[in-house]
Amino acid sequence: MTRTTALIFILACAGCAQTPSRIETASNDAPDKSYTVDLPVGWIKQASPNNKKLFASRNGFLLEVIAIANRPRKEAFPKTKKGADDGILPAELAELAIAEIKGEDQFTAALNVVENEPVEIAGHEGFRIRVSFKNARGLEIQRVVEAFTDKTGYYELAFQAPALYFFDTYYPDFQKAAASFRLASGSKSAGIPPHSVLVLTLAR
Amino acid sequence: MPSDSAFAASLRRHAVFMAPRPATALPARFCVAVSAAAWSIAVLAARVPPFADSAALERLSLDEQRVWTQGNEVAQALARGGVVYEDAAATAYVQSVADRLFPEFKGHIQVSIVKSAQLNAFALPNGRIYINQGLLARFQNEAQLATLLGHEGTHFTNRHGYQSETSAKDSAAFGTLAGMVVPLLPQLVAVTSMYGFSREMETEADVQGFGRLKRAGYDVHEAPRVFEHLIADIKAQDIKEPFFFATHPKLVDRVDNMKKLSAGAAQGGAGTSSVDYTNTIMQVRVDNLELMLSMGRAKSALIMLSDPERRAELPPQADYYLGEAYRLRGQEGDVQLAEQAYTRAIEAAPEFAPSYRGLGVLRLKANHYADAQKYLDRYLELAPDAPDRKYVESYLKIARKKAGGQQ
Repeated sequence: MTRTTALIFILACAGCAQTPSRIETASNDAPDKSYTVDLPVGWIKQASPNNKKLFASRNGFLLEVIAIANRPRKEAFPKTKKGADDGILPAELAELAIAEIKGEDQFTAALNVVENEPVEIAGHEGFRIRVSFKNARGLEIQRVVEAFTDKTGYYELAFQAPALYFFDTYYPDFQKAAASFRLASGSKSAGIPPHSVLVLTLAR
Repeated sequence: MPSDSAFAASLRRHAVFMAPRPATALPARFCVAVSAAAWSIAVLAARVPPFADSAALERLSLDEQRVWTQGNEVAQALARGGVVYEDAAATAYVQSVADRLFPEFKGHIQVSIVKSAQLNAFALPNGRIYINQGLLARFQNEAQLATLLGHEGTHFTNRHGYQSETSAKDSAAFGTLAGMVVPLLPQLVAVTSMYGFSREMETEADVQGFGRLKRAGYDVHEAPRVFEHLIADIKAQDIKEPFFFATHPKLVDRVDNMKKLSAGAAQGGAGTSSVDYTNTIMQVRVDNLELMLSMGRAKSALIMLSDPERRAELPPQADYYLGEAYRLRGQEGDVQLAEQAYTRAIEAAPEFAPSYRGLGVLRLKANHYADAQKYLDRYLELAPDAPDRKYVESYLKIARKKAGGQQ
């Protein structure tokens, strides 16, 4: 994996390092308790100091990594300094997420979008993008990002690994994690059915 | 020679001032700081004579061969990393301009285009020159391109990369720097030309590059425009001027210098036809617009798109990109401007599908569901395999439902 890109991806997600711990049970709470997610037992996990990011890996964060982040809507895309404004459509959210990745370095700037489609995440309209780029050694890296926004913030689940062996091997673990993602029951918007968010937004 | 601690402090200080673009990742920014510090030591460099001709390239010292090898590694990394823009015709054209400027180094100066929207270019010590597609797209004619290539080629012929590297190596700080820099070599080199060498080297490259421009018969009055493009871009992005140190020549000063150099020159000269240039690099411009917009750099895109003369240099669907730029900028009144632009694009290029999607989504968000349905249907009719088809179908579902309710 590209050293620079991996470091950007992981350090941007993690902030400064905290002690990693082994995942003992599938169900895991967010560091700030804002959501729950099933993570692969036996992997290691690590939270960022501000408790806004959580990531997990089996073989090391520079190989494959699942990264889950939640940010305030106005700070959804820090590199491009864009927010997830009211009324933003899933496709527009995906567009901003791609711009954010392209802003990381010259290699991700040349990425190819392999997949970009609407998905439902935790009962919310969101998107899934899959992008591919190469590192300085010519190794192809793939990253999947699934994300949505609601009144409480912008939620993003991502998985990155080299296309060679690692991506296909561990992508199913990410898919299980994404499917299990739930906002905490105290969340004001949890449980709003898909389409309703979009329709309500458009009707404003 | 600064002490290690002073040197580290210097790095930290300059790291704040040297973000060339807001979107640049932090590690790259850090690398800029490191590289700038390394190159700055070149001020202390013992001068080596320029290459007189290509025969001199066969007599490199072992030390210089090592620097060239590093350049080769960077070139390989860029190629492997998929960042080299693959357009044989455009690359051959740019190469032909370099060959005209440096006929005695033909075959030794090799120019490539980089997939980057940033207005930048750089020369490696081994004669490899990289020009970002953003810069190529922004130029208006061949004379402006030749100005840049004259500048970059001079960095090679005058061995500026080698001088900078050996000076840095001789310093006490280099041992520390090398460990940090080498893993990030591509970024290191990617910032070492338009903005990166010492003040003396940049000035030398400006002056001698200008001489090359003149001898090749280009219109030298186009030279200042190169730096004016850079200034316009910096203003559009509202960023600090990316010069590395107080000693580095400011862009405004470089414009003035170019104007002084060209003041006495006769009017006229080759390479001023915007039509010829446009025809050759049209696809680069389109690809660059799409890259800029996909990176959310609407303000930079608007520099070209909001000027009707520049827009006329683009394909008929240029107004679609203008609409996209307004939509992405998202300032007050931009929705109306975007709608107008999409509408003009549909008139100018009725078979260009994305304009219908742009207009359809805006109409949907404005609760004009029947209109939205009409435009989005047309989009899918023209682009049945559109990659965003699932999104558009979901919008159509809403539009149909709501349109039914409005009737």
